[in-house]
Amino acid sequence: MFAPETKFLVIDDFATMRKIIKKVLAELGFKNVQEADDGKTALPMLKSAANEGSPYQVIISDWNMPGLAGIDLLKACKLDPQLKGTPFMMVTAESEQNNIIEAAKAGVSDYVVKPFNAATLKTKLTNMYKKHAA
Amino acid sequence: MGAAPNVNTNPLLDRKLINAFVDGVTRTLATMASTETTTGAPTIEKEFSTKGDVAGLIGMVAGTMKGTLTISFEKEAVFQILENMLGEKYTELNDQVADAVGELTNMIYGCAKTALNEMGYGFEMAIPTVVMGKARIKSFHTGATLVIPFTCTTGKFFIEITVQT
Repeated sequence: MFAPETKFLVIDDFATMRKIIKKVLAELGFKNVQEADDGKTALPMLKSAANEGSPYQVIISDWNMPGLAGIDLLKACKLDPQLKGTPFMMVTAESEQNNIIEAAKAGVSDYVVKPFNAATLKTKLTNMYKKHAA
Repeated sequence: MGAAPNVNTNPLLDRKLINAFVDGVTRTLATMASTETTTGAPTIEKEFSTKGDVAGLIGMVAGTMKGTLTISFEKEAVFQILENMLGEKYTELNDQVADAVGELTNMIYGCAKTALNEMGYGFEMAIPTVVMGKARIKSFHTGATLVIPFTCTTGKFFIEITVQT
């Protein structure tokens, strides 16, 4: 599993979902969690953290956001040499096959469909860690 | 992908549509908020009328069909659901409650949309709006409304669907 000090960025336009994800991460022992309310806000945060030598180590993002959707944030990250290796989890109500395929093609590390419970998020995080550690 | 739905059927009378939303509510509240709900009998009302104290609205678009999904909560019901979901007690309608109602609307619509699209509908995802206060809710709707009532231990909430074909 990821180390307890792992730096997370949680991106969702609804504060409630950010709160739920932070709560689950806290229960799993992760306290270094920051938030962004949209892909448009998140991208400069990700870039400046990488430039400052303190990059985010895991990105957890919603899909459906007004400014820059999660899928477009994912594509932008994969085009950026500094960000392309960062594990990227999509947490979304978009659960149709075509959405999952689009995210997989764009390089998503794992995909959690809302509604979800803490056990599901923990399992997906563990799987994502194994995938990136391999 | 299942067969395309019969376009001549009034969507408000479509059992599959009703079941998709009932399942969306039941699954979302059980998974995210450990809240059990009881579903009442669906009815069709001639005009939309406000039922709750806070509501999430989402535009439903599938080809030429346009509609609105409203999920309206009595405040006692939403306070219980949020306490179960977030582990915090709520006693007044505020921005945090509005945000949570928006996210619940998003998840419930997402669940129903997936089920309906697998049957051949083509609903698109949209971003919900939240309104608090009865007068403001009324202006979003015209025409017949499908109403599905739900009960949890402290109060009621309602799925309301209007459709223009």
